[in-house]
Amino acid sequence: MNKLWIVTFETFLRQIKSWSFVALVLGPFIIFGISMGAGYASANGADSGSKIAVISNEVEMREQFIKTNKSSVDKKVTTVSDAKKAMDKNKLAGYLILNTDKDQIKATYYGTSSIDSSLKTKVITFTSQIQQQLNYAKAGMTLEQVQQLQRQPAFKEKISKKTGTAKIAKIISFWVTVGMVYTILVTYTGITAQEIASEKGTKIMEIIFSSTTASKYFIGKVLGVLLVVLSQILIYLVGGWGGYLIAQKASMTKDIMSQYHTLINSVLHNLLSINLVFLLLGVVIYTILAAFSGALVTKAEDASKAAQPVIMLSVLAFIVTFPFQNHLDALPVKILSYVPFFSSYFMPMRVINSEANVWEIAISLGILILSIVLMTFYISKIYQGLMLQTDDSSFWKRFKRGLSYNK
Amino acid sequence: MLDVKHVSKEFKTVKALNDINFSVENGQILGLIGQNGAGKSTTFHSILNFLQYDGEITWEDKPITDTVFDQIGYLPEERSLMSKLTVEQQIVYLARLKNRPAKEIRPQIDTWLKKFAVKGTKKDRIKSLSKGNQQKVQLICTMIHDPKLIILDEPFSGLDPVNADLLKQAILEAKQNGAAIIFSSHDMENVEELCDKLVMLKNGEIVLDGTVSDVRNSFGKTHLFVTTDWTKERLEQLPKVTSVVERESNRYLLQLADESAGKEIFTKLTDGKYIEEFSQQPPSLNEIFRMKAGAINE
Repeated sequence: MNKLWIVTFETFLRQIKSWSFVALVLGPFIIFGISMGAGYASANGADSGSKIAVISNEVEMREQFIKTNKSSVDKKVTTVSDAKKAMDKNKLAGYLILNTDKDQIKATYYGTSSIDSSLKTKVITFTSQIQQQLNYAKAGMTLEQVQQLQRQPAFKEKISKKTGTAKIAKIISFWVTVGMVYTILVTYTGITAQEIASEKGTKIMEIIFSSTTASKYFIGKVLGVLLVVLSQILIYLVGGWGGYLIAQKASMTKDIMSQYHTLINSVLHNLLSINLVFLLLGVVIYTILAAFSGALVTKAEDASKAAQPVIMLSVLAFIVTFPFQNHLDALPVKILSYVPFFSSYFMPMRVINSEANVWEIAISLGILILSIVLMTFYISKIYQGLMLQTDDSSFWKRFKRGLSYNK
Repeated sequence: MLDVKHVSKEFKTVKALNDINFSVENGQILGLIGQNGAGKSTTFHSILNFLQYDGEITWEDKPITDTVFDQIGYLPEERSLMSKLTVEQQIVYLARLKNRPAKEIRPQIDTWLKKFAVKGTKKDRIKSLSKGNQQKVQLICTMIHDPKLIILDEPFSGLDPVNADLLKQAILEAKQNGAAIIFSSHDMENVEELCDKLVMLKNGEIVLDGTVSDVRNSFGKTHLFVTTDWTKERLEQLPKVTSVVERESNRYLLQLADESAGKEIFTKLTDGKYIEEFSQQPPSLNEIFRMKAGAINE
């Protein structure tokens, strides 16, 4: 047991100390940080030159306008000459003169280009309201008359929000799950196959096999890679949770977070469920196959080719999910959700759509775990033979020789 | 004690080993010689349990499984280490796989590096070392955990005479500490110098087995070195002399058909007078190796 852990930790430490791991883990955070930063900078940068000034003799009306349009108005500018100077320096988009002339509200916009359409709507709405108040006051109507005139037709839109969100949540969950499974599988099958293949036929393997059994070494290697995967997932979970908490509080994202609160929570719920177990076990079975594939290369120099067959299988399983994303009750989905190598994609799809009951999930998990155990047992038996032989024959000959070389 | 009994191994139609028997006592060095492809590495791989074989191999009367691995130090034929590790990381990792704690091994590393005159420090990466120094680090990895059974496949290949001497020292030290050592070599001088016993393999079969002197003597003392003013033609007239080769001026090697002819030749050649050299010897290991390697299987 002790030697198994020595191999596990050696593999783990060597991987996490490598630059490729650091880049792999930090990559998404850096991209997220850069895009957030860029978004914030462009949002801030757009502000100063797109504001307008409001100039009016009527202090109350000016303040009322500014109050409702804080973000679009530079309230420090109060005179036409100041506004013109600011426009020359590109600090103002234009200025709006608000006045009342013979009981009529007059709003005139001066600018180098036409007024921003949303701001124009706001100005029109504002001036209409003021004009209406003025009209009612001048007409000397009773309160009842005013209320009568203010009556509007009623239009209501009733959307069953829960179902809509649930459907979007399912689609997002599907893509996030499938994308995560695919990315992690492709990355780690590559790393595992290379790790194993780089040792193929080297004499260091003879030294190692004179120190510990091939099965302990093989299982140790696979466990080492799995520890790396777990670390990455853990970092993402912690990072993701931190990001979620920050996003709920940060001024820039607070609104979006509260608007899509239900959606985000149901996506998270779909991910942090039994699907995570399928994801992990999927990584385990693909890692074992990748290790086997790595052991089958002719020589260490071919390490880069080692992962190809496993990556192909993963790509195949990934692509096969596409036609079924809207037909999750189809028979192939049901069948594939029990087949190891495919079940890590297909069972989570069914779980997200509540298509699978507890028993079906348990059976699929059982088949997956049993396959992992059998594969580990079988490969660790023939691993020594595969790793020690170095002949340059065909794939099947190497495979057969590996079997006969060993016990 | 390492005991190899009736071991045979077949690869498809090729008989790599055929009923091999030998043993190595603790504190004894056995040299395994033979041409390329004679079965030396297959013998080592069988001892290390890398192969499935017929027969029985035991260490201290127990089969060689992972419980025995910790007592084994093995140096494979070609050298290979984990190039990205530092010297210290490599030595400690392999020692830990032999169940030796890092804290016990680390303080010894500098002494071992000095002992093998490795040019470099323990913090250097393996890949930054020269080939010869990498080979020495690998030797350290083989010996640092104080193994009781040491298996060295061609340990001297690629070493210059100075470094070969350092290795011989280390092997003799391990022998003194009671280790059973088995090594293969093409250099018969090393075998003659170090080994208590030797086994020669040819096409997977043992063709020579015994102590170095027993093996040599079994060929008869048919080599006679003489320094004399006799001519070559006169020497050829001596009884049972099959050939005469002049090695240096006035120094000859006489090949005898029968070692018992020595006494008669001595009498005739010296005639009761002083002679500078009269040395009757068995053939050298090199000659025996050539003879045996060239001979058709008996």
